[in-house]
Amino acid sequence: MSTFWLTAYVLIWPLIASGVFLTLCVALIIDMRAAKKSGKSLV
Amino acid sequence: MFQFSTTSAMIILFAFYGLTFLLTLRIGRRQENADSYMVSSGSVGFSMSAASMTATWIWAASFYAAASSGYKYGLSGAIHYGLWGALMILFIYPFGRRFRKLAPDAHTLAEIMHARHGSASQLMLAGSNVVGSVISLMVNFTAAGALVDILSPLSFVQGVLIAGVGVLSYTFWSGFRSSVFTDFGQLIAMVVAAVIIIPIIFFKLGGPELFEVGMVNLTPEQASFYSPTAILEQGAPFFVAVLAYAIGNQTIAQRLFAVREDLIKPSFITATIGYGSIVIGLGMLGLLALLAGVEPINGDLNNLIPQMAATYLSPIMVVLLFVMIIGSLSSTADSDLSALSSIVMTDIYGKQISKNKPNPTTMVWVGRMTMVTATTLGVIFASLKLDILSMLIFVGALWGAIVFPVIASLYWSRVTNLAFTSSVIIAFLLFVVARFELLAMTGVVAVFFEILATIGAAVVIGLMSFGFFGRRAGLVIGALFGIFLSFYSIGFLRDYIVLLASLTAYGASAFVCTLLTITSKKPPFEFKTIDERVVEFHAEQPQTMENL
Repeated sequence: MSTFWLTAYVLIWPLIASGVFLTLCVALIIDMRAAKKSGKSLV
Repeated sequence: MFQFSTTSAMIILFAFYGLTFLLTLRIGRRQENADSYMVSSGSVGFSMSAASMTATWIWAASFYAAASSGYKYGLSGAIHYGLWGALMILFIYPFGRRFRKLAPDAHTLAEIMHARHGSASQLMLAGSNVVGSVISLMVNFTAAGALVDILSPLSFVQGVLIAGVGVLSYTFWSGFRSSVFTDFGQLIAMVVAAVIIIPIIFFKLGGPELFEVGMVNLTPEQASFYSPTAILEQGAPFFVAVLAYAIGNQTIAQRLFAVREDLIKPSFITATIGYGSIVIGLGMLGLLALLAGVEPINGDLNNLIPQMAATYLSPIMVVLLFVMIIGSLSSTADSDLSALSSIVMTDIYGKQISKNKPNPTTMVWVGRMTMVTATTLGVIFASLKLDILSMLIFVGALWGAIVFPVIASLYWSRVTNLAFTSSVIIAFLLFVVARFELLAMTGVVAVFFEILATIGAAVVIGLMSFGFFGRRAGLVIGALFGIFLSFYSIGFLRDYIVLLASLTAYGASAFVCTLLTITSKKPPFEFKTIDERVVEFHAEQPQTMENL
């Protein structure tokens, strides 16, 4: 396997984790707005 | 190696637990109710559910073990730890939807088993959960002690005590709600640390050039993605173990009962991706250490991550790693406390002591006292450094033995209490015989266990297929896999005792449960009565809660 693909193999995981991070942060904002609107707690 | 001063370590730990405690004040209620204390509102949103599921599934050992696997098995090592762990989260959600459909108001899986079969099956699940969660607490507190011991002048016991008191302080009052709420922040700390630390260490070690100069440090097997040793010694046993953990452990079931029903699938898919990326990513640190020719301190692979961090990261980055590991172990420990409290509240106080007529206020305090007791036990066991590996093996075996009977009981109306309990007990005993080689694994005995293990492997693949593609696919894929595997497993698996024993638990329980079920003459079970029985247990609560 080439150096390029091995590098991608190591660095792809933090990249995916960044995607999860963004997804959760956006979802949290949406959930907080919904909770505020309905007057209910997030949990 | 870099170390914090005592003051710095204390400031970081107190800041972490102090901030977490302050966060929980935002959701605290003067009077918590019993249901919220165990499963929140049952309609927790996507962000909190996905984050909590991920944070709970990642414990301190996830980092150490993934890195160890990467170091030991090379290119495929981290995958054989992180990918299978991640897939098990995915595997659970189809079954989770079934659990929720059958009993929307349940608090524990054992409670559903009580409604389906009665006390014996309930106590098997609840008992194994209590022992499993106390062990998990101990392991997490031990990890805190070891980390503090390595990275600061504070002692191991001081680290254990700070973690124990810290976790209890923010979980005690609001229970599961605190656990879920704080999991979000703890997960974000873990993600940020992983995203920053992995590339930094990679480039500090030379970046892509590391592969050009470091591949000579790998054996041919370590340099292969298809290493049979990695599969047989790490991937397969771990795959089988986490499947049992996913079904048997209350921390997972609790989140299934807490998330809004239509969000089970997206939450669990996100948790799968989140867990996989963080754990496999940190497992890559083990591979990088192997490529760079790093020798773990004292030959202990658990030292790899702290060692890599202390050697290649700036002090600020070491703080980040420190917080990440403390966050991971705390999020699992608070989940264990919440799981234990809900089991004792529901399955012991609610079902066995109050006979379905619990006093809600007493129930909440039973949960809180359970947390105090469990934390004390966890701290004592961790401080004494007790060797309880054998207990962990037994709990794992029991969970392996219950996977098929639990799932079959909730889909197949003819499964009886006798089939459930007998299959679990027989499978557990056969596991013990295989795991501890009480009979010599040669000749006919070895073939007998290899046949059971092959059935077990077919059951695992069949159940996974069944969850996603339905009964027919599950039966066909499981059977085909079993037939295919039998050409290789007979005469071979006896050399891999851990895998053989784990698969035996699955195979024996599935075989006995199926045999006793198809020969039973009892009438089929009405699944709708599960919901009626679980609801009946809560019927007392709304009336009394108004008086709170």
